[in-house]
Formats: sequence, C-alpha cells, structure tokens
Amino acid sequence: MAYSILVVDDSETARAVIARTLEMAPLPIRTMHVASNGAEALRIMHREWIDLLFTDLSMPVMTGVELISRMQEDALLSTIPVVVVSTDGSKTRMDALMSKGVQAYLRKPFTPEQVKETIDALLKGNDHDE
Amino acid sequence: MTNEHRALLNQTFSTVLEQLAFMFVEVSTEASPTVDNAGFVRTRMSFQGPVCGDMELIVPRNMCEELAANIMGTEPDDEAVLRAPFDALKELLNVTCGHVLTALAGQEPVFERSIPTVEQCDPGEWATFRNRDDTLFVLVDEYPVLLYLNYGPRK
Repeated sequence: MAYSILVVDDSETARAVIARTLEMAPLPIRTMHVASNGAEALRIMHREWIDLLFTDLSMPVMTGVELISRMQEDALLSTIPVVVVSTDGSKTRMDALMSKGVQAYLRKPFTPEQVKETIDALLKGNDHDE
Repeated sequence: MTNEHRALLNQTFSTVLEQLAFMFVEVSTEASPTVDNAGFVRTRMSFQGPVCGDMELIVPRNMCEELAANIMGTEPDDEAVLRAPFDALKELLNVTCGHVLTALAGQEPVFERSIPTVEQCDPGEWATFRNRDDTLFVLVDEYPVLLYLNYGPRK
C-alpha cells in the first residue's frame, strides 16, 4: 500500500528534511502534501485524503498544539494519526499532547530508521489504497 | 557563563550540527580570526520557563548556503537553498536551543520558545558580539561561528 502524508512545518528546511528522510526510509508514499502552519494544514485535510500527519509545534498563524486541538473536534480529522516533530524535549509537554490524541513524537534531529519505525507502528493494518 | 555551561553548550551544538548537517565543530583559541567582508548573519530566539533568556547564532554569510545544502541533502546552488538561504540557520538554532534547554533543565520543565528571527550584521558588530562573556567562539568546517546563550531565573 502507499500512503498520503501531510508535513506541517513553517521551516522549508525542516519540510525538506522530513521529505528526504521519508524517501530514504524507504516507504511507499503516494502523495506528500506540505503546509507551513496549522490553518493551511486544516484546509488541505478538508479536501485531501491524509493517512498520516507530521507536525511541528511552534509555527506562526496556527501552532501545532492548536491544530491538534482543532482536529480532535472534527469527527473525521480526529481519526488521522498525528506525529509531532519538534525540538522540544519536555516530557511534560509530550505527555499532555499524547493525552490530546497525538500518537508519536519524533525529536529533531532524527534518523530515517526512527521515521520508518514510527510510520510502520502507526499504520500497521491500514489497508486503504488503490 | 561557567566553564561547565560553556562545555555543555559546545557539546550540544557539536552533536546537533553533526547529526543535522554533517558539519564539525572545533573550539577556536584564535584571538583575531580572519573574517571576510561578505558579512555575517545573526539569528536569535528567546525562551521562557523555569529559566528565561535568549540564544543567538552568528555565522558568515557565505556559510548559509552550505549549511542549508547539507541539512537538505542537496547542492548549494539548488533552487530550494537559494529560495531560503537563512531558513536552515534558523532551524539549526531552533534545534540547538531545544537540546540545550533539556541539557540545562532536564525533561520535566516546559519552555515557551519564540520563532527565530534573522538579520545581517557587519564585521564590526561581529567583533563586539564575540567579546561578550556569554559567547562561545568555534570553527565549523573552518567558518568562524559565535554561539551566545544568556539566561537567568524567571522574573
């Protein structure tokens, strides 16, 4: 199966790193969407099928925390697995995000192996595809 | 900055830079390093938590494309690098700051951090910044780089 992935980060560099890492993983990716903030991500998720979301926390316009909260209020979007990709090392913050529905956390900088393990664990059994 | 914190800053920055950009750090003891006239780029961010402060990174202008290319795994003349040459520098500061705060304060505290900003600075300003007490001077693949950390108790 191939996945449709959304990467949300205000840094073009960070988005490129995640994209490169996903290419190196290697993982079957059908489509990779990108957004530079939470509001843009919501617009994409309302018009495209997304299997998995990677999001930063600190972003202008709409932060990752607000994006996650807005997704939890939506019956459809709340089913999308969320991976937080951040430089934040606070276990307290991560525990709080996990309680809001976040499934995994990748701390920058990360390796392709960590990304692959995370995706495999989250999407195991997901057999939607062409 | 205490010697212990200076060592921690150096170690953290070295590890992050090596993992993120495959670039290597050595501490410089040069009193008057040679700097070119292309100028420097300064990126800064602040943080608030159990301790508050700010962190800055100042690098030669001509290091930015190489840094961005290394992080993105592409060439310095790649379109993505040329479109946002300073974005990688902000990302490097952001990652370094996150790891330094964990090293200083542990995993329990929550810090609010600002989004990094970037501005240019000339060689004269660079010399002034270099002489601050809380500045670490290192060479990154022979580029002169200043890393500044200032923090204190929450007011």
